[in-house]
Amino acid sequence: MRKLRDSQGLMALAGVVLLAIAISPVASDGSRIFLQMGNLTDILRQISLIGIISLGMTLVILTGGIDLSVGSTLALSTSLVAMGLTRAWPGAGYAAHMLYAIAGATLAGGLAGAVNGAAIAGLEIQPFIVTLATMIGIRGLAKWLTNNANIDIGFGGDVAARFAAAFRQKPLVIACYAALAAVFWVLLSRTVFGRQVRAIGDNETAARYAGLPIRRVKIVVYALSGLLAGFAGVLYAAGNQQGNPNAGVAYELDAIAAVVIGGTRLAGGKGSIAGTIVGTLIMGVLTNMLRLGNVDSNVEMMVKAVIIVLAVAVQRQRRMD
Amino acid sequence: MSDLLRAEGIGKRYGGVHALRGASLALAAGEAHALVGENGAGKSTLAKILAGSVRPDAGRILIDGKAAPIRNPLEAQRQGIGIIYQELDLFPHLTIGENMVIGNLSFREAAWVDFRKVDAFCRPFLERVGLRRGPREMVAELPIGQAQLVALARALSMRARAILMDEPTSSLGEDAAERLFGTIRELKQGGVSIVYVSHKMDEIFRVCDRATVLRDGETVGTVEVPTTTPGALVRMMVGGADELRADWQSARAAVDNRRADYQSAPLLSVRGLTTRKLRDVSFELGAGEVLGIAGLVGAGRSELGAALFGMDRATGGEIRLRGVPVEVRSPAAAMRHGIGLLPEDRKLQGLMMDMSVLENGAMASLPRMSRLGFLSTERERAALLPLYRQLALRCASFSAPVGWLSGGNQQKALLGRWLLVNPDVLFLDDPARGIDVGAKQDVYRMIAELAAAGKGVMLASSELPELLRCADRILVLADGRAAATYTAAEATPERIMAAATGARS
Amino acid sequence: MSGKKNRSLTFAARRAFAARKGEHGLSGRALVAAALALCLCSCSATRTDKRYFVAFSQCNNAEPYRAAQNALMTQLFAAYSDVKLAIADAQQDNSKQVAQVETFIRQKPDLLIVAPNERAALTAVMGQAMEAKIPTICLERDILQPNYSTYIRSDNAEIGRMAGEFIVDYLKRKYGEPKGKIVQMRGLLGVEGEINRNGGAKAVFAKYPGIRMVAEPVADWIQAKAKDRMTEVLRAQPGIDVVYGHNDPMAIGAYLAAKELGREKEMAFVGVDGLSGEAGGIQKVKDGVLAATFVYPLCVDKAVEIGNRILREPGFKPEKQYNIDATIVTPASFGAVPKKR
Repeated sequence: MRKLRDSQGLMALAGVVLLAIAISPVASDGSRIFLQMGNLTDILRQISLIGIISLGMTLVILTGGIDLSVGSTLALSTSLVAMGLTRAWPGAGYAAHMLYAIAGATLAGGLAGAVNGAAIAGLEIQPFIVTLATMIGIRGLAKWLTNNANIDIGFGGDVAARFAAAFRQKPLVIACYAALAAVFWVLLSRTVFGRQVRAIGDNETAARYAGLPIRRVKIVVYALSGLLAGFAGVLYAAGNQQGNPNAGVAYELDAIAAVVIGGTRLAGGKGSIAGTIVGTLIMGVLTNMLRLGNVDSNVEMMVKAVIIVLAVAVQRQRRMD
Repeated sequence: MSDLLRAEGIGKRYGGVHALRGASLALAAGEAHALVGENGAGKSTLAKILAGSVRPDAGRILIDGKAAPIRNPLEAQRQGIGIIYQELDLFPHLTIGENMVIGNLSFREAAWVDFRKVDAFCRPFLERVGLRRGPREMVAELPIGQAQLVALARALSMRARAILMDEPTSSLGEDAAERLFGTIRELKQGGVSIVYVSHKMDEIFRVCDRATVLRDGETVGTVEVPTTTPGALVRMMVGGADELRADWQSARAAVDNRRADYQSAPLLSVRGLTTRKLRDVSFELGAGEVLGIAGLVGAGRSELGAALFGMDRATGGEIRLRGVPVEVRSPAAAMRHGIGLLPEDRKLQGLMMDMSVLENGAMASLPRMSRLGFLSTERERAALLPLYRQLALRCASFSAPVGWLSGGNQQKALLGRWLLVNPDVLFLDDPARGIDVGAKQDVYRMIAELAAAGKGVMLASSELPELLRCADRILVLADGRAAATYTAAEATPERIMAAATGARS
Repeated sequence: MSGKKNRSLTFAARRAFAARKGEHGLSGRALVAAALALCLCSCSATRTDKRYFVAFSQCNNAEPYRAAQNALMTQLFAAYSDVKLAIADAQQDNSKQVAQVETFIRQKPDLLIVAPNERAALTAVMGQAMEAKIPTICLERDILQPNYSTYIRSDNAEIGRMAGEFIVDYLKRKYGEPKGKIVQMRGLLGVEGEINRNGGAKAVFAKYPGIRMVAEPVADWIQAKAKDRMTEVLRAQPGIDVVYGHNDPMAIGAYLAAKELGREKEMAFVGVDGLSGEAGGIQKVKDGVLAATFVYPLCVDKAVEIGNRILREPGFKPEKQYNIDATIVTPASFGAVPKKR
């Protein structure tokens, strides 16, 4: 059953890729622009940030919850890392300085996530409401810390510029996504924790009767989501050469879309990291295909909407059988 | 004399599976006709087809000798067929009156809701089924037994000539069941026919005139109830030799033998246990003993299990294990102390329907079944497969989702989880409910084996025959209090019933 | 290249979506078959004679100034039948604009024009364009490093100065001396236009201690945001003399906020852009909503002119920067607005 579902997602991805190849504009040397190595790696880099966030979102949705605050957490993280890098750290070498800034920003994301998890697990408030509140609050925090101004990471020789030069490299960004995807794939499918996540989403009452540590698992799941959003923020700052408290708006929706297209059920219990990766790739290839065709970016949004609905409908159809 | 209702050659497929294949039923006017079969034999499907909520792939239905294709529930209602589902189809957040008049062709609804008219319409039917509630009360606030009575009142108010009842007493206490049987007798006298879908032999033999047996989607035969025996019916249902009687007798023998093996000090000792529902309950449980927990619906059987397992907060009283007082504040703590609970509703409280049999089986023992936080399917298989073999759980694949299995196998999957935990004290809440005859036997066998291994087993059940068969002693609860305790020798249905109802003022 | 492709996009899309609605592997296989058929069709497509592909990456269509840029660019390039123009809207999102420029680079346009959303974010990718030997025009806003063939701008610092001078004169006429309270409605921070319109004006105000800047909310060039920010300022500040908006929509938004609270007569509103048309700044000066605006050139005509020379004259080397002047528009100047927009 799982194999059939995965292959359905892969077939859809294959279909979209073939379609993109078919309608790809042709370059002057006869090659299809879509298939150029540069373009394909562009796609991978362009989906990496949302891809990283989607990994955490998969876990959250698998427990039957949702995390609307990841975009704001990303904004906070970009601001913190830029602030950390542009502030002087007496005595610290470049590498250490970068490490502190990156670690600080990423951990701040994890902390924000843990706050989400504590409210959801401890106070038993619905995830939608809690993360809606933190979505607003965390962005407010980011704006307050930066006075609503961007923090430029320049092109000079200072630590900030070196950070940007190092962490904006396409291979590094893609490698980070790939590594995190592998880690989370193992986490979800091969560890006790992963099974607990799925069990809680499948039937939380039964999980309680089986003595599973529900509170602990939920806090960790949301903390991981925040941690990943924090790390994505670090990469964002490097890629855009700025800390931006207004970044990441609506990123959570893109992440949720990728997770849902990848076959994870919003009610929880069913889903996989592999599925989410496929969903992310489908969105990335689709967007690239439309851009190469110079389709209006507003039409892009409508197409995405249609894809999401179709993907969910096809899954429901299959479940009915 | 033409039958009131005839169904001939009914077939229904779901995907590749035949739920029904050439099933038939003939219902005379004014009779109570039992529809029997194991789980998965197709009883519920046939009932749903007659009620119009499922469309058959083949066959025909005749009413008063004329062809009457029933395409939807409204047409069934027009033909005078009503149904009371096992999982009630009432609207919990509407009132009793609203539930009764919605979609009811016998009630002329105007554009405005006239609550007085609704009340007047409903009251006679509510009285007839013995429900002492007003039409303006919310269905969500009723216990399930009373909600079922609302469904029955609704069917009656639709002037049905044939009423299908799917496992009607599954949520009723003894007195409510008695009232139901009385109502059925009255209905028969009034010319209304009942199709009584059930497992329970004693009820069938009390109430029904004829019985049709289904097996694997086909009608095996129709018999006159007064001229047959439960054994004969069971033989038709199961199609095999009657091993059951021998099984029962050997089980009783094992129980008598076991009594000699008890240890002197009690394994579990409960004094003055008080929770929201329970009041000052005290009892003892010895190692190797099976303690039956009897009582009406709402007496506190499940609550007792919840309190022992740490799901419910105890406001008073003391629990001692082997003489040592323990605090059980959560299921995890309960398991650490060696107490386990098989919950009442395997779908809602027990199983993860999308996960496999093995995953469900290992769910309460994950730390033991894993290595450094990583899952070990080899360990799980090594530990669980022998247990499932003991339980005679047969399924196509242990990696398929548990939701695909029959009720009996699902219950075994859940039991396997607790066998793996291997607690000293195991509270089983209605473990044999809603499963087929063969699976029931396997469960009873497992209970006997657990006791023989020195565990303390508590068996809460609403079926007295089950308790009488399996238990060494029976604790009767009434209104949250411990009303009486009987040994197996002393216990009779009348005594237990008396104790269960006696505490009522 | 384009027409046939657009048709095949919708056709393929419809077939693909229809196929995916079906069951199991069948839909996947149908999709594959459809796509392969299209592959074969497209392979045999012949190309027509030389067409120039001009790619324009616009940062935010939602601003009226930029919509006017788009309209003028489309109109001017339409006169050349051998030019195919593609415009991408980044909706004020840096990541989106970077991705769009990257995709344009893949398509190897003959000319790339970029109106950068923010300086830092777009610098590197425009460098990539230059490295790929694509002539790049940086339009109106600048970036951190000169990664372009030419930068066409108007002097925002000069505009800021002119605005400052106008406001000082206004205050002198109002109070007899240069004193008063000013609210500055700022555009997206970090953008060259905002930096210089702010800096130019403040340089003037610095000379007059009696003139105080009491609030400087940021409204990102957007009218609705300006209205909200102004409402907050109005509640906090009693007597305001002048509102200086870095663009007309923000000045108008501030006006609307003041009007709702009945205080629009208390202060004067100054904007920048001076677009024509019903919603433009010039009309608002005519209507008395704005005390003054500054016609801020779209820079597009110069861009198209230089762009065409880059396309058609092989040896042409554009200057690194082209400056285009701005003019002030007040109620006094009607009839004197330059026709060429």
